[in-house]
Amino acid sequence: MKLKQWIDVALVCSVIALVGCTSKHKPQDELAINDANSAYTDEGSQSSGLGEDTKFGDQQGTHLAANRTYYFDFDSNVVHDEDKPAISANAEKLAANPSSKAMLEGHTDPRGSREYNIGLGERRAKAVAQILAEKGVNRNQVRVVSYGAEKLASSGHSEADYQRDRRGVLVYLQQ
Amino acid sequence: MLFFPQAETRDKGIHMRKILIGIVLMAGWLVSHGSFAMISMELTRGVAGAIPIAVIPFQGADEAPQNISKIIGNDLQNSGRFKVASQPTDNTVIGKVQSLGNGRYEISFKLLDALQGKGATALSQHYTVSEHELRAIAHHISDLVYQHLIGVKGVFSTKLAYVVVQKTPEQTRYLLEVADQDGYNPRPLLSSPEPIMSPAWSPRGNQIAYVSFEHRQANIYTQNIITGARTLVSNYPGINGAPAWSPDGRKLALVLSKSGSPNVYVMDIASRHLTQITNDFYINTEPSWSPDGRSLLFTSNRGGGPQIYQVNLANRAISRLSYDGNYNARASYTADGSHVAMIHSVAGVYSIAILDLDTGVVRVLSNKSTDSASPSVAPNGSMILYDTVLGGRNVLGMVSSDGRIQLILPARNGEAQDPAWSPFLG
Repeated sequence: MKLKQWIDVALVCSVIALVGCTSKHKPQDELAINDANSAYTDEGSQSSGLGEDTKFGDQQGTHLAANRTYYFDFDSNVVHDEDKPAISANAEKLAANPSSKAMLEGHTDPRGSREYNIGLGERRAKAVAQILAEKGVNRNQVRVVSYGAEKLASSGHSEADYQRDRRGVLVYLQQ
Repeated sequence: MLFFPQAETRDKGIHMRKILIGIVLMAGWLVSHGSFAMISMELTRGVAGAIPIAVIPFQGADEAPQNISKIIGNDLQNSGRFKVASQPTDNTVIGKVQSLGNGRYEISFKLLDALQGKGATALSQHYTVSEHELRAIAHHISDLVYQHLIGVKGVFSTKLAYVVVQKTPEQTRYLLEVADQDGYNPRPLLSSPEPIMSPAWSPRGNQIAYVSFEHRQANIYTQNIITGARTLVSNYPGINGAPAWSPDGRKLALVLSKSGSPNVYVMDIASRHLTQITNDFYINTEPSWSPDGRSLLFTSNRGGGPQIYQVNLANRAISRLSYDGNYNARASYTADGSHVAMIHSVAGVYSIAILDLDTGVVRVLSNKSTDSASPSVAPNGSMILYDTVLGGRNVLGMVSSDGRIQLILPARNGEAQDPAWSPFLG
C-alpha cells in the first residue's frame, strides 16, 4: 500500500510538473522513482534509472522555457516571482548558445498616453532583460523593443483584458 | 490614383514579414474621387446660442459634381456654432454655379445680412476653379462666413492626420492617413504591418513626422505630403518617439532612450545634430513647443506619476505645470499660448482637459468615455481633436475648447486613433 501511494504521489507530481509547478517537488519525484524501481530489480542486477531523456528536471526546464510571456501589475515593471523560473530557463537556453538572438517586447494596457506607455513598456522589457543578463546572457543577444499600447493582447476593455495586455514577451529570432 | 510599391526584405537566417510601404503619388492633391468620407462626423452636442444661418441651394448646382451649398451647410452645422436652416433667416448664404466647360467652373456666393437691410450683402466673392478644387472652394467659403460672423479664423480648409488600424483574423494592418477636416478625401501616406504612431505636422503643413515600427523597432520618419518622399531621421537604439516640429520648422524635439531611459532631445533637422534637454532616469516624453519656440512642455514621472513640466531651452530650468489629478500627459499649447490641452486622469477616468495658464484652472472637456487620449488643438484654438473608445471601438472625437460642442468621427475602414490637426494650410 505504501509503495502504491508513493507511485501515486510520483504520478500526480509529474502531472503538476508538466503544467509548471515549482521545482521543490523534484527531489521527491526522483526518490519515488528510485523506490519504485528498486522493488522490481533482481538481486543480481544493477538498479538503473529510467534514462536520460526522462529526467524530470530537464522536462521541467523545457516546459518552463516554453513560458515566454510575463505579466505585470498596473503601472509596474516589477517581475513577478512566479515568472523567474521560466525566465531563468530561457536564460540558460540563450547562455548555452551565444549565437542565438532574441527580442524582448514590452507592452502596456491601452489606458492613458501612448508615448508614456512606450516608456512604461520599455521598463518592463528591460526588467526581464536584466534578469537574463544576471543569469549570464550576453546583452547583445537580446534586443529590447517597447510597443507600449500599440499591440494589445486583447481588444476588450475590462480589467481582465488590461491584465492580459500588461506583459513582456520573449521572442526568439534565431537559434 | 494610389500606388503602393511593395518592398520585400529578407535577412539571412531570419524570416521577415513583407513590408508594404504605401507612398502616395500626389498628381493632384485636391483630386476628389467620388467624394466619400472615410471618417464620418456626427455632431453629438451643439452650442445653445448657435447663430441661425440659412444656406440656400446654389443656382445651377447640378452643373457641378459637388454640392457646394451642402458642403458649406455641413461645415457650419458641424462647427456647433451655427444652426443651419433651409429658409432665409438673418444670415443667408446664396450662390451660383456655372460650368465653363473643360472641367472649369465659376462659383459665386453672397452672405446676406438681413439686419443691415433687405438684400444687404456682408460678403460677396466669385472664383474660377477646376473640378478637383470644388470641395476646397466650398470650405473656403465656409471659412469666410465663419470668420465674418464669429470673428475667428475658420478651420474648414485644414486637414487631419490619423492612424487607422485594420484587424483581420490573419493580420493587422496600420495606415497613416490624411483627410480633409470633414473626413473627406482620405489619403494613405503609409501602409504597414507594424504600428505607426505620433503623427506631427510641420509648421507649414507640407511634411508629417511620425514613428514607424516597420523594422520591428521604433524609428522616426518625416514624409513630404505632396510628393510622398520620406526620410529616416532617427533610428537610435531603443526608443525613438514623440517627434514635434519647432515653430520655425528647423528642429524636431523627440524622445530617445539611448542614454538608458527616455529623455527629451532637440535635433537640428539639416545637420541631425542632437542636443540633450533632459538627463535623468525618469520617463520623460511628449515634448511640445511653446509658440515662441523658447521652451518645451513635456510629460515626466519624476514626481511619482506622469505630470506636465516645462523646460526653458536656454537655461534648462524645469518647472511643473500640472498639479490637479494624479495623471497628466501629452500637453500642447493653443496657438496663442494661453491654454494647454492635455490628457487628465482622476480616479481612473482619462479625459481631455484644458488648463488656463493665467488662472491655473483645469477644465475637463470630453465626457464620452473613460479612456480619451492624444489631444491635438485646431490651429484657431477653437476645437480639440482626440481619440477615444466608444462602444468598444477606437474612434476620433472633437470637442470645443469650452466643452460645449462634441463630435464623434468613427472611421469606416477600421479603427481610428492618434490624430493630429494640421496647421492653417497655404
